[in-house]
Amino acid sequence: MANWVLKGLRTRIKTSAYRSAAEAVSGLSPGQPRGVALPAHDAAALVERCPTRAIDSCEGGVAIDQRRCVDCFRCHADVEEPAVPWGDGYEWAAYADDVAAMRRKLGHAFGRSLHIRFLDAGACGACMSEARQLINPYYNMHNLGFFMTPTPRNADVLMVAGPVSDAMRLPLRITYEAMPTPKRVVAIGACAASGGVFGPSFAAGGGVAEIIPVDVVVPGCPPPPLAILHGLMVVVGRKPPSELISRPSNGEMSPE
Amino acid sequence: MNDVGLLFAIFFGLCGAGAIGAFLVPERFTPALLATIAALSALLLLVGSGELLLGNGSLRIDLWSILSLGRLILGADRLSALFLFILGLVVFPVSLFSAFYLRHYIGHYNLRYFSVLYHALFASLVLVLIAGDAISFVIAWEAMSIASYLLVTYQYEREDSAQAAFVMLAMSELGTMAVEIAFILVAVHAGTFEFHAMRAIGPALGGGIKWAVLLLSFFGFAVKAGLVPVNSWLPLAHPVAPTNVSALLSAVIVNLGIYGIIRVNLDLVPIATPGAGIVVLVIGSISALFGILYATIQSEMKRLLAHSTIENMGIVAAGIGAAMVFLESHHEVAASIALIAALYHVANHSVYKALLFVGTGAVEAGTGTRDLDRLGGIARRMPWTSGLFLIGVLSIAALPPLNGFVSEWLTLQTILRSELLSSTLVKIIFAVCGALLALTAGLAVTCFAKVFAMGFLGMARSDGAARATEAAAPKQIPLALLAASCIALGILPTYVIPVLDRAAEPLAHASATAALVPPFFDTAAQQREGIPPKFLAEFHDLGSQVGDSVLPGRGLVVLHRGEARNPVVFAMSTSYTLVVLAVILGLSFLGFRLLTRERSVNRGPAWDGGLRRLFPGITYTATGFSNPVRVVFQAVLHPATTEDDTEAVARNFRAAIRREYTDVHIVDRLFLGPPVRGLRRIADPVRKMHVGHVNAYAAYILFTLLVVLIVGAL
Amino acid sequence: MTLSAIADTEPTDFAGLCESRWKGRVTAKLDAAACHVACEPPDLPAICEWLSEEMGYVFATLVVEEESKPGWLLTYVFYKDAATPWVYVELRLDARVTTVPSISGLANGPAADWHEREAEDLFGLSFAGHPRLGEFVLHEDWPEGVVPMRHSFDARRMLDIPEAPNPAWDPPTIFSAPGSFAMPVGPVYSDFGEAAHFLLETVGEDVVRTIQRFFYKYRGVEKISEGRPIDRVLLLAERFSGIAAFAHGLAFCQAVETICDVEVPPRGRALRTVFAELERLRHHVATIAGICNSTALVVATAQAALIEEDLIRLSCQVARHRYFFGAVVPGGVTCDLVEEHRQHLLTAVDEIAQRCEELHRMLRYSSSFLDRLEEVGIVSPDAAAAYGLVGPIARACGATRDMRKIRPYAAYATVDFMVPIEQEGDGYARLRIFFAEIEQSAAILHQILRALPAGEIRAPDIVARPGTALAAVEAPSGAAFHWVRLRDDGMIARYRITSPSFTNWHGFHIATENFAFQDFPIILASFGLSNAECDR
Repeated sequence: MANWVLKGLRTRIKTSAYRSAAEAVSGLSPGQPRGVALPAHDAAALVERCPTRAIDSCEGGVAIDQRRCVDCFRCHADVEEPAVPWGDGYEWAAYADDVAAMRRKLGHAFGRSLHIRFLDAGACGACMSEARQLINPYYNMHNLGFFMTPTPRNADVLMVAGPVSDAMRLPLRITYEAMPTPKRVVAIGACAASGGVFGPSFAAGGGVAEIIPVDVVVPGCPPPPLAILHGLMVVVGRKPPSELISRPSNGEMSPE
Repeated sequence: MNDVGLLFAIFFGLCGAGAIGAFLVPERFTPALLATIAALSALLLLVGSGELLLGNGSLRIDLWSILSLGRLILGADRLSALFLFILGLVVFPVSLFSAFYLRHYIGHYNLRYFSVLYHALFASLVLVLIAGDAISFVIAWEAMSIASYLLVTYQYEREDSAQAAFVMLAMSELGTMAVEIAFILVAVHAGTFEFHAMRAIGPALGGGIKWAVLLLSFFGFAVKAGLVPVNSWLPLAHPVAPTNVSALLSAVIVNLGIYGIIRVNLDLVPIATPGAGIVVLVIGSISALFGILYATIQSEMKRLLAHSTIENMGIVAAGIGAAMVFLESHHEVAASIALIAALYHVANHSVYKALLFVGTGAVEAGTGTRDLDRLGGIARRMPWTSGLFLIGVLSIAALPPLNGFVSEWLTLQTILRSELLSSTLVKIIFAVCGALLALTAGLAVTCFAKVFAMGFLGMARSDGAARATEAAAPKQIPLALLAASCIALGILPTYVIPVLDRAAEPLAHASATAALVPPFFDTAAQQREGIPPKFLAEFHDLGSQVGDSVLPGRGLVVLHRGEARNPVVFAMSTSYTLVVLAVILGLSFLGFRLLTRERSVNRGPAWDGGLRRLFPGITYTATGFSNPVRVVFQAVLHPATTEDDTEAVARNFRAAIRREYTDVHIVDRLFLGPPVRGLRRIADPVRKMHVGHVNAYAAYILFTLLVVLIVGAL
Repeated sequence: MTLSAIADTEPTDFAGLCESRWKGRVTAKLDAAACHVACEPPDLPAICEWLSEEMGYVFATLVVEEESKPGWLLTYVFYKDAATPWVYVELRLDARVTTVPSISGLANGPAADWHEREAEDLFGLSFAGHPRLGEFVLHEDWPEGVVPMRHSFDARRMLDIPEAPNPAWDPPTIFSAPGSFAMPVGPVYSDFGEAAHFLLETVGEDVVRTIQRFFYKYRGVEKISEGRPIDRVLLLAERFSGIAAFAHGLAFCQAVETICDVEVPPRGRALRTVFAELERLRHHVATIAGICNSTALVVATAQAALIEEDLIRLSCQVARHRYFFGAVVPGGVTCDLVEEHRQHLLTAVDEIAQRCEELHRMLRYSSSFLDRLEEVGIVSPDAAAAYGLVGPIARACGATRDMRKIRPYAAYATVDFMVPIEQEGDGYARLRIFFAEIEQSAAILHQILRALPAGEIRAPDIVARPGTALAAVEAPSGAAFHWVRLRDDGMIARYRITSPSFTNWHGFHIATENFAFQDFPIILASFGLSNAECDR
């Protein structure tokens, strides 16, 4: 076993500096579309092109509902004009509801450490794969005070991926009910936020919020690990939240 | 005849009255009558034996003389008195329990018959203990054996009880024969069957005779005590008897085996070689381990308790064995402690085993089953019964501050005193036996954690358990009495030990009270005892003298005092453990209440991984709980999968898998199996002679006559 | 079965052979896709038995279609090897027919078992003689009489599923012994487990049998695809199983390309191979990380997880997305590999292959690790054949089936690689297969990247036309079969996905019989399957 210890030591520390500094290695995140100012007919063409109705025309251009975007790149890459700009970064997590109310509610319910229960409510596996990366040495969420817990009885946060398939409605609800208060729900991925490409339909719902109250949404299809980490930081109030709707005005934004 | 003699006379009179009285009242009153008279007799017994044990009273009644065999004598010394006291302590609550328990037999079985047997058993038990000569001892012993045989077969409609009782009777008679031979061997030298004469010549007997007496009597009494390798009848017979009889069988009748061993091998014919003590010690330790091992894998409560009786008798025998070895090597104080530990364990076992059997009876009455795999969740439905049963469980699992802990701790500590011995081989044997007993103690916790966790906690695994109803308050009285005895014996060892010491002193030729519960906390006595004052002051500060001013007793700490170099060899106090536990639990509870005062507590079902519902079929069973033990001790247990029956609807599609496990007890497999098979092989051809024709029998007679004539002619 | 009979069977002869064997009872027709054998219901079991036992064919999938003119078309797809044609046994039935003979009871019938159970649940067809029909896809809380795959059922209709615990729920178990009980695992796990439920029937520590329950994640992908345009369904094809998104997207695109007769440019084909192999690398490394994690070998888990994240980042660099979403379209791929990335990829793949090799070497010398894997979760070759297992799990017990060889697609015909094979069928054999396939994938990537053809990466826009096609792709965990039928208006009429996880989960219970409870997570990890891929 000594050779494993040696191997571990020789690998050195790989953990991202995200928390204090931004992480800028390429390949961390596929990025996100951004709202852009466009003439009305171009905006209409873009709205038409989006398969998940994530793009909506708004005053002076198009706005992107990040909860609906499934990373198909059809509004951006490999297409003739018009195209939406594509922003990089990963600090995407946002409050699911009215910001002020949310801030009051989230407040300081938790210290700096969180115990998280992950629940698969019909996810495709990519969200889960990204969530699993959180405990690998690159992201090592443990050193930020976040831990996975095997039972909802010990959990502060329920992290849900997937559109909530019919058979998972009951488990989702009883898992939520089994958690002690105070508790928070983080919906990760487009499916959990809006039903994604699957719902709502006869077999899957339109997101987690249909069953239990959601506090923080991490958009993305799937959201990269750092975006999920950002979501957890938002829960404990260590990072400011982002916005769910990206508007052309670029900056001043308000939720729906 | 003195006062005590009068008490005993009234006692036997009451027993007779109980037996006759059963025929005078309508059958529906029989249980109440039986309970009243038996409880009264038990009270008499308690008073009488208490007087003998604590006071200076004695009992000696010469009945009549038999030509050339000596006199029939009834007499009781303190050893007898101790066993009589334990008997009374158990029979009193068990008789009260019988009042409720026997009601369900009304209309099915003859209760008058039961009543006669019950009183006969009680009287014969007392007779065995006060027999003053071998003849009356054997007569009483046989009466007791037959009464218990008839009580085991009482439910004659049950097939298993007839078989079990037959095995019990056969082994018991074999044992009695061995005991009789041992008595005859001694009587030949003493010229009489009177115990006091035997006692007089006992030490002077030759080595060979002593060994023969030891082996024969130990074997004979071990049958009653259920020690390996003559334990097979016990787990068969105890569970099939009516539960009140099971309680008596397991709690007091096995004690008679121990009484016999002590009476013959420590009192009448004291041991002279270390080997003899080693035999008892080793057999005791092995019995303890096998007993608890088989108890752990049982899921039927009465059978589990029966196996655990073997375990406890093993622990007692180990204590006696250690006492014998110490005695032989002239460590009288150590021997006395070992004997006290053994006697203490006898008392403790009687009390908690009776409690557990009576509790099992209550559980069966409430749920209709004794199968742990079909119980579960009854702690919520039968809170009082469960709470009292829990005291028994904690006691038998030897957890402080209850009584099982005190005697097991003393036994283990005594075995650790093997450093006093000179022979390395004996030291090694002591160490191994100590390890076996420690393993036994560990398994006992597993076993009884299983009993309570699987039987009383969790979810109900059968309709009966789901609909369990709590017994009425009066029915809790016997349980409460026994539980109170468990607690008292547990937290007041410093008051119990001096009493036991009075019984052990004549046998060990030393008193251990001063060594175990010394009065040296009394400041005036400090210098005299030669113990460093600083050390004494520390114990004084601990409050070990508490009680001195309240009760005319000792401090509340049990400690073995050594010489000045090593003033305290071992020490403990269950009394203070109780106080500390109470303080810790109380503070935790208060703290918890304080912390959660502001918070609302939501109660929900156990977390099951998000299933549609949690149901008993997906929770651990008793068998599942003990399966790791089954796997680890596979070499001993040899569980055989007798049947693995698979049903399939098509290739690759199985519809059912059924499996049956049977395990044959290792003793039956290795020791009794081969001779029984051999006997069968001889018996089978001989059996043909039983069913021949008349002319065949005529031929046999002719043939025999011929042989006799020829032999006579030669 | 006579070996010579197979050797003598020329592909062109198969239809004739079939007709002569089943004189007058079948009509066989050979076309570019397969040999279509049309038969009547009573002959079906015999023909399937003949194919699977005498001719050595393997059952691939059952496609049930409700045709537009009322009636049923059931296509039983069989495959064998590169030299023999695929066989579609076709059953055309009247719309009023509700009962079809089952083939699950045959010697190699279990392969069709789950397909028949699924069809029973989703179409309301019953399979006469099926050994065990019952709730399967649709759990018992579904409303009675809902048959979602029928055309008459509206996919947008929301069902009334109770959200309260069901006090009557009592899953069937088959093991009985004194004190036996079932240990439930899932659907909500204590770790990052995908939703599924296992009941381990046991008397304590030894588990006798595992009862599996899937389709907690049934999202009705096949149903909601119907009536939608190709580009929308492509989103579903990629996203129903995110960790094999490229393989399934590719399979769907290949089916569409076959129908629409589109030729993918050579560079597009080469890039598809590159992406598919990168995905396989990532999947296998993730599975190895899972195996190490299940045996609590912490450093090895961390090492594998580092490689996995490096591969995910590599994917993001060359294909924009960490899981290749949006990378494949009918006609080619959407992102080109610039020269700089090609160079980078070459060195990165070499480095990763090297790190995997080192990890493998270190694991091979960790005896405590091997003890946990060896002779654990054994799948016998017979069982693998009966259940038609595919992918690394089948290859760990001696079955060489690999769609890249049987039906080469993308650029696999142009590269030289071998299909690793092991015989033991235990957890360790599977681990060795995963490592060997990593080596082969690296070799494939090397060959492709060194000689990357120039030119277009995708064909011009395709014109949809009606038709049917079956595409077979070797997804990371095994063969995936995508059956696509396009309507006259170019919309999807029927989309049937048979995923490797669906096929292989069926065989999971073979590996979990009479084992020690603590081995369960290890067996689970060594299968490396996805429930999302199974449940669709």
